[in-house]
Amino acid sequence: MDEEPERAKRWEGGYERTWEVLKEDESGSLKATVEEILYQSKRKRVIESHGQVRLGMMRHLYVVIDCSRSMEDQDLKPNRLTSTLKLMEAFVDEYFDQNPISQVGIITTKNKRAEKLTDLAGNPKKHITALKKAVDTVCVGEPSLYNSLNLAIQTLKHMPGHTSREILIILSSLTTCDPANIYELIKTLKSLKVRVSVIGLSAEVRVCTVLTRETGGSYHVILDESHFKELLMLHIKPPPASSSSECSLIRMGFPQHTIASVTDQDAKPSFSMSHLDSSSGPGLSLGGYFCPQCHATYTELPVECKVCGLTLVSAPHLARSFHHLFPLQAFIESPVENLQGDRFCQACQAELKDKSVFSCPSCHSVFCVECDLFIHESLHCCPCCIYRQTAP
Amino acid sequence: MKLNIEGLLVYFPYDYIYPEQYSYMLELKRTLDAKGHGVLEMPSGTGKTISLLSLIVAYQRAFPLEVTKLIYCSRTVPEIEKVVEELRKLMEFYTKETGESNNFLALALSSRKNLCIHPEVSSLRFGKEVDGKCHSLTASYIRAQHHSNPNLPVCRFYEEFDSVGRQVPLPAGIYNLDDLKAFGRRKGWCPYYLARYSILHANIVVYSYHYLLDPKIADLVSKELAKKSVVVFDEAHNIDNVCIDSMSVNITRRTLDRCQNNVDTLQNTIHKIKETDAAKLREEYRRLVEGLKEANVARETDIYLANPVLPDEILQEAVPGSIRTAEHFVGFMRRFLEYLKSRLRVQHVVQESAPQFLKDIFDKVCIDRKPLRFCAERLQSLLRTLEIADIADFSAVTLISNFATLVSTYSQGFTIIIEPFEDRTPTIANPVLHFSCMDPSIAIKPVFQRFQSVVITSGTLSPLDIYPRILDFRPVTMASFTMTLARTCLCPLIVGRGNDQVALSSKFETREDFAVIRNYGNLLLEMSAIVPDGIVAFFTSYVYMENIVASWYEQGILENIQRNKLIFIETQDAAETSMALEKYQEACENGRGAILLSVARGKVSEGIDFVHHYGRAVIMFGVPYVYTQSRILKARLEYLRDQFQIRENDFLTFDAMRHAAQCVGRAIRGKTDYGLMIFADKRYARADKRGKLPRWIQEHINDGSLNLTVDEAVQLSKHFLRQMAQPFRQEDQLGLSLLTLEQLESEEMLQKITQIAHQT
Repeated sequence: MDEEPERAKRWEGGYERTWEVLKEDESGSLKATVEEILYQSKRKRVIESHGQVRLGMMRHLYVVIDCSRSMEDQDLKPNRLTSTLKLMEAFVDEYFDQNPISQVGIITTKNKRAEKLTDLAGNPKKHITALKKAVDTVCVGEPSLYNSLNLAIQTLKHMPGHTSREILIILSSLTTCDPANIYELIKTLKSLKVRVSVIGLSAEVRVCTVLTRETGGSYHVILDESHFKELLMLHIKPPPASSSSECSLIRMGFPQHTIASVTDQDAKPSFSMSHLDSSSGPGLSLGGYFCPQCHATYTELPVECKVCGLTLVSAPHLARSFHHLFPLQAFIESPVENLQGDRFCQACQAELKDKSVFSCPSCHSVFCVECDLFIHESLHCCPCCIYRQTAP
Repeated sequence: MKLNIEGLLVYFPYDYIYPEQYSYMLELKRTLDAKGHGVLEMPSGTGKTISLLSLIVAYQRAFPLEVTKLIYCSRTVPEIEKVVEELRKLMEFYTKETGESNNFLALALSSRKNLCIHPEVSSLRFGKEVDGKCHSLTASYIRAQHHSNPNLPVCRFYEEFDSVGRQVPLPAGIYNLDDLKAFGRRKGWCPYYLARYSILHANIVVYSYHYLLDPKIADLVSKELAKKSVVVFDEAHNIDNVCIDSMSVNITRRTLDRCQNNVDTLQNTIHKIKETDAAKLREEYRRLVEGLKEANVARETDIYLANPVLPDEILQEAVPGSIRTAEHFVGFMRRFLEYLKSRLRVQHVVQESAPQFLKDIFDKVCIDRKPLRFCAERLQSLLRTLEIADIADFSAVTLISNFATLVSTYSQGFTIIIEPFEDRTPTIANPVLHFSCMDPSIAIKPVFQRFQSVVITSGTLSPLDIYPRILDFRPVTMASFTMTLARTCLCPLIVGRGNDQVALSSKFETREDFAVIRNYGNLLLEMSAIVPDGIVAFFTSYVYMENIVASWYEQGILENIQRNKLIFIETQDAAETSMALEKYQEACENGRGAILLSVARGKVSEGIDFVHHYGRAVIMFGVPYVYTQSRILKARLEYLRDQFQIRENDFLTFDAMRHAAQCVGRAIRGKTDYGLMIFADKRYARADKRGKLPRWIQEHINDGSLNLTVDEAVQLSKHFLRQMAQPFRQEDQLGLSLLTLEQLESEEMLQKITQIAHQT
């Protein structure tokens, strides 16, 4: 796990009273109970996501990043902004990996204003470059929830009904400077079926609680950087689609990648459409993906064809988002005492020390909590089941 | 759910119960069993009211002969309404469970202002005006005159009630103020008199403290309540002050001037009557000879404002001859008035006891003690005879006559202080005569003597043992309950130093110290950056707040704070304050965030709750001692020391800490709520201060958070706020701080519950 070294550098942390964290007591001290609650919610998340529900696979997500004065706080290293942007890069990558036919846009808010960093688009590279550039932003003034939500709505409301409209706000400040009554806007959001989720970097703010509750989103506050990452990654899974959203068939193109050699006489070099607007980058090339409908060239997928508006994806992309639809069944939780035989996790072979273990309902193999999470979050299939299928 | 509390079947209208509620009911039952008084402290937001009601109602049903009535005293009208709503819930549960409608009658009683349905009278704005107007329509002689002269206006609601309402008892049910008004409108009966009449046979009465403690009102309203009643004083942490206020009299020059006018009016009226209807005065004289007892049997509506606690023997005696005729009495009042005026003309502060005062008055103007004692009664009688309808105008003379009666009745427990000017403005002459009560037990004694069980309860009653001492009674149970929590939702921090190690304290010597003020500002600034939504900051006094805020403004601290949150200030003006409060809540609601600067002992610190986001942090700047230079306080401290052996410092600290606890307790109003409690004064770390905080706060102060710097406090708060922001559901509480019936009945839990109550 890569967060291990992050946590190890204790001397970099703020003024912490480590001796109190380490304090052990059985009467239910603060640390112990909160950790217990966190553990429970971890479990709950795994179980929750396994219902057979319709998922909004085509997502339109606006991420609002707070760039106000409070982002300069150094409780995340080196500061909140840099840390957030770094995690966002990972998020964008992972997001397109898991949701190949979805789009993301980024909005920043500072100084009582909101502006678009990137438009809603399906190209991860563009977002990541923008995020990299944003590291040098000066953090000033207060954020404005109203303005950022309003800006996001302007685009989201034109999105077709079968797609999910989402806004994710990463809010560091505890105050917002709004030009009008935000509760009116919340009503509008609700009527437009926009889901708003918030990740707070400092504490629970009332208006966010209301905002997320009304629009059906989630609201979390981070504890530390690894928790932040965890919370961010929660938003990678597509949310359940509301029953009222329309269903429709979508035309999609599956362009083939052609590689032409310079020696080939038939090959005509063409400009990649995705690079038309930017002056830099490789302009003219021979190969690439060609839109099956209009034959425009693209260097990468997924993308929406700029000429004919067709959604272009590759088959593996689509296949990858399948596991959302056919998820692995939840493992059965049971106390460790009930277990006969050796108490070792089938996956990592470590001794089972926690008070409960998890067993796969089809092959009855036993796993520890960590492996259970790993299997459900990353593998999406039970290793023992697969082993058995191939072995005989 | 149905509970078994030591053999008593208690219906509890919720599916879950907090362990401390169960424990509370146990203690309460023991109090009732012993037919004694009790002092119970339980944190706010743990369902005190419903526990009280469920148990006492169950007790009433089980032993209808032992306990006939519950008298529930609360402080404000909203609180009264809340109690009635809880009661309604309980009764609905009873009906659902037992399947039969029970014949319980419960009602709330409030002043005429809140109950009047007369179109003209109820439109008046002030309580006094409503009372006066009502009286002018319902007094017995007005109604008598109405018979001969039908043009004279009377209140048709009262007439209707008087002719029909008395025979028909109020149907069983739960009535809050609005229900009473609706019922009154439907029937055309006066709701106020209906309620006052119905409390005699009601099972549960919910009303304000004053109906029991203020002798002037208590005598009218609560005199005939059954002895076998249980009296509950909720939010009773300030009960001693209520008692004292109800017995104290302040006389200024303005009072005397108005009194002079009153006396002149009386004189004129007497002259007029003498010409027209001399027989009436003769009749009165005859009555007075026979004794006051008979005169006292007046009709219900002849309410004259005053009737201080008079020993019964006075009522048996005849009024002394010197004030028996109306003219003599008026002359007597004039003399007394002149004497008081001369006393107010002093240049230096005078403090004397009641006997000294009496001796002086005898020497100077030859007024004896005996006629003084009858002053209040004599005035009543005169006002009644003269048929003066609007008694509101005569409040000044009533006040003076009350003073006369009190000063001559009690030789102990009172002191007279005459101050020629206020301490803060020594150049402006503004003489005041304080006749101040120093012994709260005088006002409350009749209550303890009359009623079988009196329960004093509040969220902050620590230290418990002081209340029985200052109120002079012997409780059978005294217990303090803690709050069982699934997560530690309160975080008391004692900030004793600034970042530059300057000791933070509001004590007199360092009060003006620049460094302290700057560090206080720094604390608020840092907190405003990390605490979401609302922060409430309490200062020790208005003057102190003004100084500090002015200084912060000069240093630019306020400007910095305003970048994080808006700032609102409580002022002495009630309208302004409620406006500020409204805006404050709005700012908390829409995410801007706000700080409310207010004063301990002010309106905000007593009656206003800051639930959830309205108060995520409370900062207490300094220790809220009372103004110790006040002579009244000094006299009271001396009295406490002599009579009750309570040391001055103990009492002062107790008083300061109960107010501090009240202030910080505003933020936590339940188990799902959470909040920071920051005590910004290094003196809080001392054991004698800390030990006087309620147990439920004390047990969360660990040794590590006793003397923090601002930075350390900020780090701890940040951590706490993040922990608390994690999702918290009801299931997390179940079994720990919230119990189902099965969980409650488990052996292990019962064991735990016994530890919740802390006996003293």
